[in-house]
Formats: sequence, C-alpha cells, structure tokens
Amino acid sequence: MSGSASHRSRVILAVDDSASMRQMVRFTLESAGYKVVQATDGVEALDYARQSAVDLVLTDVNMPRMDGITLVRELRGLNSYKFTPMLVLTTESGQDTKQRGKQAGATGWIVKPFSPEQLLSTIARVL
Amino acid sequence: MDLAHLAPNPSEPSSDDTMIAPIAWTPEQQIARMLELCEAQMESALSESDVAVDELIKSFTGLIEAGQALGSLGDDSSDLARQLDALRKQTAAAVVAFQFYDKLTQRLGHVRYSLSALAMFVCDRAKSSERDQWRRLFSTLRRLYRTDEERQLFKLMVDGATAEQAREHIQQSTLTLRSAPTGEIELF
Repeated sequence: MSGSASHRSRVILAVDDSASMRQMVRFTLESAGYKVVQATDGVEALDYARQSAVDLVLTDVNMPRMDGITLVRELRGLNSYKFTPMLVLTTESGQDTKQRGKQAGATGWIVKPFSPEQLLSTIARVL
Repeated sequence: MDLAHLAPNPSEPSSDDTMIAPIAWTPEQQIARMLELCEAQMESALSESDVAVDELIKSFTGLIEAGQALGSLGDDSSDLARQLDALRKQTAAAVVAFQFYDKLTQRLGHVRYSLSALAMFVCDRAKSSERDQWRRLFSTLRRLYRTDEERQLFKLMVDGATAEQAREHIQQSTLTLRSAPTGEIELF
C-alpha cells in the first residue's frame, strides 16, 4: 500500500469502539494517503462532524452511546452531510440490519473482516 | 464439545474454603454462581489479551512503517522491489487476521451476556419451570447474535444438534473461512 497524492486532502472519519479495529482502519487508509480522524462511538463522531468537515464516514454499527445506524441518520439530517459517502463496516450480516442502514442513508455495507485492497477500492468508488 | 482440557488440575489441593457458604442454599443459586464464575473468567482472560493484542498491533505497525520507509529510500533494485511487494501482501493478510480478534471479543461478549442472563433466569424458579419462558429466553439470546457464524451455530443447537454435529459444522465453517476470509461488500 502506498500513499497517493490525490488522496492527501481527503479526510475520512473512522468510527469504531474497538481500538484494534480503529488501528487497522487507520493504518490501511493512511497507507493509501488519506487523512484519518477517529471516534470511539456515534456521539463522539457526531460532535466532530458538526465542527469539522469530512469527506467520508466509515462506521461500525454496534457501539455504546450511539450506534452507527443512528449516526448515519443524524448526519444525513445535517445539510453539510446530505451527500457525503457513509460506509458501514460491521460484523452484522443480517438483511434486516442492512436494510435499516440503507434506510438511514448509508452508501454501502462492508462486512468485517475487510481486505485492505477491497476497502480502498470501495472508498475510491464512492468518493 | 470436549472440554476435558479445561478441567481443574486434580493434583491441586482442594479446600472446603472454596465451597459456597450455605446461606439460603438452593441448586439454582449454585448454578447461577457457576455461570457467573465462567463469565468473570472470560472477562478476565479477554482483558489480559486486550493488552497483549494492543502491543502486538503497535509492533506490527512499527514494522510496516519501517518497511515503507525502506521503500521510499529510492533504491530501485528489483530485489528490493520484490521484497517490498511480498511485505505488502503479508501486511494485507495480517490486517485481515487481526480483525478476527475483534470478532472474537464480540462473540465472547455475547457468550458472557448469555451466561449472565441464564444465571438470573435459573434463580427464578417460577420462570425456569415454564417452557414458554425458556422459549422467550432463547428468543432474546438469538437476537444477540450478529454474525452468520453465531446465528448458524445457534440454530443448529436449538434444532437439537449433538456436540459431534456442532463440531463438524465448526470444522466446515473454518475451512470455508480459510478459502474466503473477508466479508461481503454491497453498495446501495
């Protein structure tokens, strides 16, 4: 994985309550040249997104305080995030939850574990 | 499943001190205590391994950064390029493998919750003697499970599979996992 000059200005908000997952996501995205900001749950992510712009949100579903689907719904309610790509990265593979994510406004659904190559190509497609 | 390797060591001295005080002794309370003990042991083991995995990830990240720094030195020998390409492939495989720890933590969290729920349930004699209440408990626990593997195993056991059948299912799942370790991607 090598850095890309075209990605350097892109900021990705990675939201996960698992420290090891955040590290894997950060490592993968930074290796490709993205700037990564991290949040440990939906509340922290929403606070950050209200104050600063990000180009893409990558969020887990099951987190304390605010889950990823609520986060997507809340962000879609903000004018500045109406068209921002929001990908859900989760172990949840059930159709019901996926459908709830889609209805909340998620752009796509990635089931963990992710392959770095596939994650990067998916992000490149939606950005 | 064969849990013989987890049994206490018979050579260790046993003491009556380890017995639970006979205050309001009921078989249900003893089952509940045993379940709570299992839950606590699992939490303790997970906390310990969290520390170790954090350290492992830091070391891994450091190694990869060192590899990337080597690649940016500008040495264009084909041998170095080959080595760096191999390093990139190994890194990608390690990133996938590390994520199974997260999955393990999540799944054991669900097991811990199930044990706690069962501990409370068995203490309520009125509830635990009713078939419908057991059905409700199973229904609650089923909703807990998030991954395909958890759901499949739950269904198998609820449908009355034997330990041997469960073991065969797990072996088959592991084989599938080896051939396709990463999850699906769907764009809406």
